[in-house]
This record gives sequence, C-alpha cells and structure tokens, in this order.
Amino acid sequence: MATLTAPAPRAVPAVLKHHAVRKLAFLALLAAVLGPLAAARWGGPAWPHTLTVDLTGPLTGVSDWIIDNRDSHPLFLYFFGHLSNAVVVSVRAVYLFLLAAGWAGVTALAAAVAWRAAGARLAVGTAVAFLACGALGMWVPTMQTLALMVVAVLASVVVGALLGLAAGLSDRMDRALRPVLDTMQVLPAFAYLLPVVLVFGIGVPAAVLATVVYAAPPMARLTALGLRGADGEVLEAVDSLGATARQRLLTARLPLARRELLLGVNQAIMMALSMAVIASVIGAGGLGDRVYQALASVDVGAALAAGIPIVLLAVVLDRVTGAAGARLGQERTSGRPWLPAAAALAATVVVAVAARLAGRPQWPTSWTVAIAEPVDRAVDWMTAHLYSGVPYVGGTADWAGHFTTWVLDPVRSALLWLPWWSVLLIVAALAWLIGTWRTALTAVAALAVIGVLGVWQPALDTLSQVLAAVAVTLVLGLATGIAAARSDRFDRLLRPVLDVFQTMPQFVYLIPVVALFGVGRAPAVAAAVVYALPAVVRITAQGLRQVDAAALESARSLGATSGQQLRQVQLPLARPALLLAVNQGVVLVLAVVIIGGLVGSGALGYQVVFGLAQGDLATGLVAGVAIVCLGLMLDRVTQPTERRATKGA
Amino acid sequence: MRLKRRTALIAAAAATCSLLTGCGAADMTKQASPFAAVRGSKTLTLSVQSWVGAQADVAVAQYLLEHKLGYRVDTVQVDEVPAWDALSQGRVDAILEDWGHPEQEKRYVDDKKTIVRGGSLGVTGHIGWFVPTYLAEQHPDITDWRNLNKYASLFRTAESGGKGQLMDGSPSYVTNDKALVRNLKLDYQVVFAGSEAAQIAQIKQFAKERKPFLTYWYAPQWLFEKVPMTEVKLPPYKEGCDADAAKVACSYPHTPLQKYLNAGFAKSGGRAAAFLKKFRWTTEDQNEVALMIADQKLTPAQAAKKWVDSHPSVWRQWLS
Amino acid sequence: MALTVPTRKPPTDAATAAEPVFRVDGLWKVFGPKAERVPADPELSALGPAELRARTGCTAAVRDVGFEVRKGEVFVVMGLSGSGKSTLVRCLTRLIEPTAGTVAIDGEDVRAMDKARLRALRRHRAAMVFQHFGLLPHRTVLDNVAYGLQIQGVGRAERRNKAAEMVAKVGLSGMEHRRPGQLSGGQRQRVGLARALAADPEVLLFDEPFSALDPLIRRDMQEEVIRLHQEEGRTMVFITHDLQEALRLGDRIALMRDGRVVQLGTPEEIVGSPADDYVRAFVRDVPREQVMTVRTAMRPATADQAGSGPALAPHATVAEAIEAVARAGAPARVVDRGRCLGVVDSEALLGVVAGTTGPGTGTDPKGTTGAGTDPEAV
Repeated sequence: MATLTAPAPRAVPAVLKHHAVRKLAFLALLAAVLGPLAAARWGGPAWPHTLTVDLTGPLTGVSDWIIDNRDSHPLFLYFFGHLSNAVVVSVRAVYLFLLAAGWAGVTALAAAVAWRAAGARLAVGTAVAFLACGALGMWVPTMQTLALMVVAVLASVVVGALLGLAAGLSDRMDRALRPVLDTMQVLPAFAYLLPVVLVFGIGVPAAVLATVVYAAPPMARLTALGLRGADGEVLEAVDSLGATARQRLLTARLPLARRELLLGVNQAIMMALSMAVIASVIGAGGLGDRVYQALASVDVGAALAAGIPIVLLAVVLDRVTGAAGARLGQERTSGRPWLPAAAALAATVVVAVAARLAGRPQWPTSWTVAIAEPVDRAVDWMTAHLYSGVPYVGGTADWAGHFTTWVLDPVRSALLWLPWWSVLLIVAALAWLIGTWRTALTAVAALAVIGVLGVWQPALDTLSQVLAAVAVTLVLGLATGIAAARSDRFDRLLRPVLDVFQTMPQFVYLIPVVALFGVGRAPAVAAAVVYALPAVVRITAQGLRQVDAAALESARSLGATSGQQLRQVQLPLARPALLLAVNQGVVLVLAVVIIGGLVGSGALGYQVVFGLAQGDLATGLVAGVAIVCLGLMLDRVTQPTERRATKGA
Repeated sequence: MRLKRRTALIAAAAATCSLLTGCGAADMTKQASPFAAVRGSKTLTLSVQSWVGAQADVAVAQYLLEHKLGYRVDTVQVDEVPAWDALSQGRVDAILEDWGHPEQEKRYVDDKKTIVRGGSLGVTGHIGWFVPTYLAEQHPDITDWRNLNKYASLFRTAESGGKGQLMDGSPSYVTNDKALVRNLKLDYQVVFAGSEAAQIAQIKQFAKERKPFLTYWYAPQWLFEKVPMTEVKLPPYKEGCDADAAKVACSYPHTPLQKYLNAGFAKSGGRAAAFLKKFRWTTEDQNEVALMIADQKLTPAQAAKKWVDSHPSVWRQWLS
Repeated sequence: MALTVPTRKPPTDAATAAEPVFRVDGLWKVFGPKAERVPADPELSALGPAELRARTGCTAAVRDVGFEVRKGEVFVVMGLSGSGKSTLVRCLTRLIEPTAGTVAIDGEDVRAMDKARLRALRRHRAAMVFQHFGLLPHRTVLDNVAYGLQIQGVGRAERRNKAAEMVAKVGLSGMEHRRPGQLSGGQRQRVGLARALAADPEVLLFDEPFSALDPLIRRDMQEEVIRLHQEEGRTMVFITHDLQEALRLGDRIALMRDGRVVQLGTPEEIVGSPADDYVRAFVRDVPREQVMTVRTAMRPATADQAGSGPALAPHATVAEAIEAVARAGAPARVVDRGRCLGVVDSEALLGVVAGTTGPGTGTDPKGTTGAGTDPEAV
C-alpha cells in the first residue's frame, strides 16, 4: 500500500514494459499530483464535507408525499393498488387451497410431486419434512409461508424468465440489463425493504414484492445464460429445417436451456425462502414471523422450532429441483407418461379426503413435540460453559474482546487514518490490477458515491468489519474445504451441517451469538462468518475435487506426497474456484452486515435497521445505497477475469 | 390473423386481471391480510410490538376477543413507526401500547384523522439508565449520575474504546442517550445493541457472570424479575426539558402508555372496538402475563388464559 | 487406407441436359465491418487474405465462387479447415447471408426470396446434415426425425408414421424412443440423416457429416450415403475435408483454398491432372490405381485384340484392370454396351500407377471435362 502513495520511482524501462508496473506507476504519478493538492485544499483524512450532498430533505419529501398520496393518487389507485390486490388474492387462493387439502393432502401432494420429479427416496424425504413441520407445531405458519412462497416464486420465475428472454435474445437488452442484474446480485435483502414498505405498507404484498425483486435476478441471469449458451449447430439445424422465429424459440432454444431454467427456478426458490424470514420484519407472517417474535422474547428454542421448518423446506425444495435438473435428458420413456402422474394425483385426493373424513383436516395439537425447552436448556448450558473460564484458551467473551481490540480496532483506525483520496487510489490500483480500467473506474465511482452521500466514516467502519470477517471466513473456509476435499467421510459429515447453516434464518442464531460474544462488532463478524462459511467451504471443496485427474495422476506417478500434490497441483489448478470462493465470501459477508446491525455492529448496518425501525427513508436508504456501493466495489476488486470472459458471449 | 390472436390474448389477460382484483381503482390501504378470516368470522388485526409487555397486552386482548366475543384476531409484529403507518392504512386495527410518538400523533391523529386515540392502557412506562442491583449494593453511590465518571472503568468493554459502556437497545426506541452523555460530560460511550433481543441476551449474560453493566432500559419490563436492576438517577425531568434533542440534560419522563385505534375501525368496529377502548389494566397485571411468556416460556395464548382464569373481576368490566 | 468401392457409379447421363439444381455465380461472403464494399471494389477483391484483413479488418470466407450442381449428382466441396467450404454450403440456403453474387435453385434466385419463400425452400427443397448432428437432446429419435415435419405443420400421426419409416430406412429400427444422448456417434448421424430425408427434399446438403466419427463408422456411413444415392438418385452437396471421402462419394469435386475454388472436376481429373501445385501436393498420396479408370490407360484396340481377353467396363478402375490383366496374362478389353472401346495392357496400367499417364492423354466419353475446366474455377 505504501508504494502507492510514495512518489514514482525512476523505473527502468524494462520494468515499465510490465503491465502491472505500468498501471501502478500511472496511479503513483496520479497520487503524487493529486495527493498534495487534495491535502492542501481540504485537509484531514475524512471525506471533505464540501464534497457531500445531503439528501435528507428530498428523501423526507418523497417519503411524506407517498404517505400523503397513498390513498388518493391515481398511480397508487390504478397501478400499485391492483398489483397489491392481485398479490393478496393469489396468496389467499393458494393458502385456502393448502388449508382445504389439509395436512395429509399437502404432504401427499408434495410427496407425489417429489416422486414424479426426483424419485422415491426424495419423495419419502419430502413427506417426512412436511410431517416434521407439523410435529413442531408449525403447520399453519408453514402453510402461510408456503402460500407466500408459491406466489412469490411463480412471479419471480415469470418476471425473471421474461427479463432473461429479453437479455438472451437481444444483445442490446443484454448490455442494458447486465449491470442492473450485477448490482442486484450484491444488493442485501434488507436494503430495499424500506422503499417497498413505503409504497405498499407493511403486509403480505410488500413482502411478496420484495421477495420478487430479490429472487427474480438469478432467474433472469440463468435464463439469459441458458439461451446464449445453446449449441449453435442445433440452432442452425433448426433454421435449416425452415423454423419460424417462434418455432425456433419454443421448440429449440427454450428446451435447450431447460437445465439453466431449472437451475434458475432452484435459485429463485432458495432466494425467496431466505427472504421469507427477512420479510417478516415488514409483516410477511408465517414462519418468519414466528422466528421474529421468538427473537423478541429472546427465546432460541422457539426461534429454532420455527427455523427448522424453513431449513427443511429449503433442503427439500433444493434437492427436488436439483434432482429434477439432473434427471433431465434421461427420462424413462414410457408409452403413457401421464399415467403415473394421474395415479399420484388420485392418491393425493384420496389421502386428503380420507383425512377430512377422519375429522383431522388440521394438524392435531396432540401430535406436536415441544422442542423449545430442551433447546433453550442446551443453549444456556453451552453459553454458560463457553462464555468464559474455559481452561487455557479463555472463553468466547475473551476472544471477542481480543478480536475487537487487536483486529477490528486497528483495521478501522488504519482505514480512517488513510486520507480519503489514497483510499480511492488503493481501490483503483487493486481493481485495475485484477481487471481492466473499466473495473477500476466502477470500483472508484462506487466508493466516491459513498463519500458524496456523506457516510464515508460509517462505511469505512463497516468495511473494516467486512475485511475482518472475510479474512476469518477464508481461513476457516479454505481449511475446512481442503479437509472436505481430501476426506470423503468428512465431506459426508459436513454436508448436512453446511445445508443447515446455509438455510437457517440468521435471526435464529443471533441470540446464541450474542450470548457467546457479547454485543458489538465481534458478534456481527461471527454471524457473518457463520453465514458465509458454507458457500466458501463448498466452492473450495468442489474446486479441489474437480482438478484434472490426469494432472493429479501424473504428479502421483512422479512420486509427489499428498501434501506436495495439494500445494503444487490441486491448489494452483483450483485457482479459479478459490478466487470465486473469495468473491462469494465477500458478497455473502456483506449481505449480513445489516443483520450485524441487530447485534451491535453499528455503522451502516445499524443505520439501515434504524431507518427501517423509524420509517426514516433518508437514513435508511442512504445507508442501503452505501452498502450496495461497498458491495459493488468489493465485488469488482475481487472479481478476476472470469466475468469479462463471459461478457462478450 | 396473428394480430387478432394477440389482441384477443391481451384482452383476455386484462379481463382476468380485472376479474382478479375488481374493476377500476384499487385502494390498497383497505386491504386485509390474505391469511385473515379463513373461517369467515369477524376479524381484526392487532399490532404486537417486539417487547414482551406489549405481547402480554395483545395476548390477553386476543384471548378475550376470541373466546368471549367470537372474533378472530390476527397479529402482526412490526416496529413502532411502521406500525403507526399500518394503523393509519387500516392494515392494523389497533396498537395497544404506545410509548409516545408526538410526530406521528400529529400527522395521523390531528392532520389526517386516520387514527383516533383509544385511551390510556393504565400502565405507566418509564425509560431510564439502570445498573444491576448487585452492583448498586456494592457501590451504593453509583446510582447518582454525578458519580458515574468515577466508576467508568468498571463498565469498560472492547467496544467502548477506553470509556465506560452505556448499552442502548433497539433503534426503534426513543433515546436521548448520546446527547445526555455529551451534555452531562460523562466519560461514556453509547453502544447500540441493535435489537432488544441482543440487549437482553447481553444483560442476562452479564448478570450470570455478575459483571457490572450500565444499560438503557424501561419499565414495566419482565426482565427486572430475572435480573433485578436499580435506576441511576439523572437530573430530574421537567416539562419541556427534552424539547431540543441536542440539548437534553434531564431524565426521561414517566409516560402513561396509550392505545390507538384506526379511525374506521373505531367507528364501525362494533363490540371489538368498544372492548379495546375499555381495555385497561395495571403494571402488575401486565408483568404477571409478561413473565409467564418470557420466563416460564408459556405461549402468549396459554399465559393469557391463565391470567384470564384467575382475574375475572378485571376483564369483566371491559366487556360490559 | 484403401478405397474398396468395386466400381464407380454409372455416370448420370440423363441429368446433363436438364436445368442445374443449384447455380452459383460470383458468390462472395465477407465477414467484418462494411463487408459489402470488398466484392464491389476490384482493388480490394484482388487482395490476399492477410492484406485484406490488414486493410479492412475483413475476412473473405468465400471469394467469387461459381459452379453448378446437376440433378442427381453428388457434388463434393473439399478443402482444408478455413478454406470456406462450410460457409459456402450455408450460403446456398442463406443460413449465412451471402455478401455478393447469385445463388439460384432450379433457376429461382435464392437471394431474392422473402422470408416465407426462404422458409419454404428450407422446409421442402433442401435439407442439411451437420457435422455435430444438431439433434435436440430433449426429444426422442422419432421426435427428432419428425421435427422437420412438425415445423412444416404436419399432423402428429402422419409425421410419426413418416418418421418411423425414415428411422427404418437409416437402420435404426427399435431405437425410436431413445434420446440422442443414449446413441453412439454413428447412430446420431443416422438420425440427422433421417431427419433430413423425412422432409423428402430435392437436394441434401452435408456439412462434414462424418468427420466427427470413428474411421470404421465413417466407412459405414459413407456406404449408407452411396446406397441412398443409388436407391433414390437424390442430388447431394457434400462438404468434406477428407480427400478419400471426396473421391469415394463425389461425382464431381470442387477443391477450395482460401475461399476460392482452385479446381473443379471428376475425381479422375483432380487426381490425374491437378490444376496447380497445391492440388498436386494434395493428391500426391492418393492410390491412383483406385481412382483412375481404365479409360485413362486405354489405347485403341488392334483388330485381333478386339475379340479376346477379359472385358472391363469403361468406369472400372485401374486396380481392377491390373487384377484382370494379371489373371489373364493378356491385355484386357474395355467394353461399353457390347462395343469394344479399346484395350489396356500391363504397361499402360503401370504408367497410370506411376503417374506418367494422365486423363489428358485419353479420350473422354463422359463429356464432363468441359465443366471440369470451367473458367469459373479461378
């Protein structure tokens, strides 16, 4: 870092020929010119006040205007109103259907669908998962969440597929949509709850729409990817047979992209589920609401009882759609494909009617298992024993304290000590080295927007936490990933754990985290690590496992030890995957910055939470935008050549 | 031919859309939750705030409305300011425990007249700074704010950076603490726990370890039964001393907690609206229910039933 | 590698007079910015590939190509990769839009066709078989074969019947309900072939159809094509980079290099009298005795020879003649419809094998050399 701000050394021409050196030399020159200028003009390391724009006035004005006109302005009456009505009507229809089917009918239907799509094993798993939801006493909330999910996922898939179609078929639309979708990718879910609530008010419509906004982009991306990735010769063959544009789309392009489409549906479902809990903050009801209410009474057990159905739903839906995708193209070919489907449907109806006749359309209360109390006791025991006084290693409270004092504080003060223009230059240098000047420009612009919005200081505070969390995530994640890649047994043991942590609503583990690490930035980092770790572990393990077997074999034939194989073959060859792991780690850590705001991380996360709690659009939205900018900047700085390679496609 | 089909398609889509949502203008402020009133009964929606006291209010009101008046009650948990917004829209029919939101009150009650006052809850709320009673017994003079600087080092944590830590809670709560620390020249740093859950978890953890802590807290609150706390006396509250948020240097007032009803509901809500207007109990009553929920881990419904069974004299008046 | 076709196919005399199926004239396809100026400008169009790219940033994949495809013949376009042959065949049905020149099918200008007319052309008149098969992975064999008919709007039952017939024709009976992923490469290409045949097109276009297959399978497929051609007499345009394949299948061969046709003629002409060094180098390793016919080595029969010795058809290869001559120990007669055209003896046959005798020295009863030395073969 120091070399950047130092004046440019008289470089030897040979060195100058090197690209990276040239870029750095240019930036160093820029620093030498602009640095003193900036220092003389504004002084101080913080972003100069004269370069900020205060949006409080206009944003409060917008907020007031919406509140005053919500029940009278045509825009609301004729557009948002109908939108909102349509959501309510469809969610209600699905909900009533689910209730009418009763627990037996819904379970049978889900199992039948899973059986048709993914085989008998998953059908049993699905049935067990649904019954477990009932046994936890969460049948009705589960159905509410399911109703909301069905509508939200359908809407996301339709919207995403339409956008994806546009981007997949038209280059111009692709160019226009890609940056938008890229940005959505790094947008934390909390950030747009506030505007949605302002327009739609709290309740299910706002929750569904926020979910759609969150879940549609991956669908759009994957649809476009699938359409663009279609085998050119197949399309040419279709053309050569004289297909019209519509025939070509319907009989060739879409079917050829079905793997990606299904993956898109899978992604949309997972995103929607993770949003189902976050949306409880704006009154989505269902399981998320139960988790949120349990959080309010600091009841980990009750939160877990509502969290487990979410995990179960997520795992089941993920497995079923995943298996359906894997089975594409190798369907059994029977003469009457509708026959088993009809049989499954008939069985479902029979079961539903039977349960109704037996007088048990609702889940019987006597069949529920109370897990809240034992869980609470277990959590209490754990926190009591880990919090302090563990022999030799100290307690979690000490760790948190030391981590704050020795890691978080120095990083934060270093970032705040750096003059603002040098931070910009450092980011420019990093982004330029890893990408093109365009990447660098985007990263610097994103950072500058943060400064202009006047949240430089909290943003750097947040950045310091993100950096620390990413570092911890990477150390733990890479180590675990390597271990998982090298031992099948460990991998098998790890998989369910990763599944649970990836899908468990963050609200559930917030309280244990506070109980272990106290209030402040350390628990926020811990929560972020817990959230980001599974993805990093998974990508690392997968990358290492997918290393070319021939390269590994040749290394082995040369007599390399397994350590040598790892260091000299696997890790270097898995580089793209490792870089992706870094990128994903950064994006995921940033996604829970706002959750960190709930346990005392302060900074931007707290401001978003504050904005949401106080209906303060000015504070919340500005902080939300700053988080997005931070995300964009970090994404660009950690995103190597990969994206640019696909950009031309 | 093709054009015709497309036109027909659009017409059909438009027709379906309007069939689904009704024709013409759609006022989304008059919508109910899709999960409401499944069995076709009379229904209303109550806002539950995140603290347990409010959960107790709602639990008892819900129990009586459902079992004595035959209503079906939905509850929505949202933060206070959004709850006001929802109340004005009719998404929520009543807020049973409000700690004072003068700005919202002026906008919705006085100007827009979409919300009406529902009378006092009977409970008086108070916000203040608290230390655990075991600490107050050790250092009796700690309960005066003038001595706080003397004990600042006791309250030091990693987050407070050399100063004493004053823990604040949810961002949705009314707080003047930053200004107070500044104006009273205290060697303290306000650390926001970010949510009440985090704050309670931290307080319980400190109490278990019998560590010293200083926290923003409020009464009535069930946590006092679990962790006895003593209030630190701040300069006394005088009417208007908190008018300028930047210059506050006095303690928080004692607030009689208020109920608010959606204007339309108050007018046409029938027995339910009348019942909610009469709903009024004491701090002790509320704490009893709150403790059952928070400490004995009863569900709100179970806790409400227990209380209703044992206090018929109190709630009978609300139904008359 | 030996060519083992016992006899060359009989020449298709009947077709010579009729209207050609395809007539291509002055065809250009230039890729790059403002491509249309290249063929128009004589200075630019004279440039070599490297200079053209340097000057304009354009690449000319097809340069000023002209030829005719006659009804019922197998017309092979051969060249190494990058020579523009695949672009050329795509220009025929405007899968790639030509930059300049004319393409006519049965006398109708393809470049002037509107969308509907072009679709009709692709649906009914010309069907293509692709190198990597271009099958739809989500459809069964039967549905893939029926796909072209579906596009045409043929009813379900009818198209399935027709498709089943085609599947049987290419020897895939019993595999109707498999998916392409479950087939071997050869089987997949049979599906591609059946799909092309299902539409009953006037002309079949093959774009390197067998180059992705194993050598043995490739042989089978080549024989399949020869069999189909013999049975149905359908016109075929066949693109390949494999000289052996070109010689085996082609009635006439257009040899391409850098977008131009460097020589156009019968296999015998290409092998026997290469137009330039490039072609000569190309055909150097071809076993000439298996390509050249006895006509090349024939000399007029003397009276006493006209009645004796083994008889050979005029399109018999030199290899066959050698075998016959060696077995009989005497010169063989070349007999066409009972008339003796001449004799071949071991000396003349050796001359062909050694490359000292060429087709230029013999007579040309087929009358195809005229096309072979067309001025359009630049």
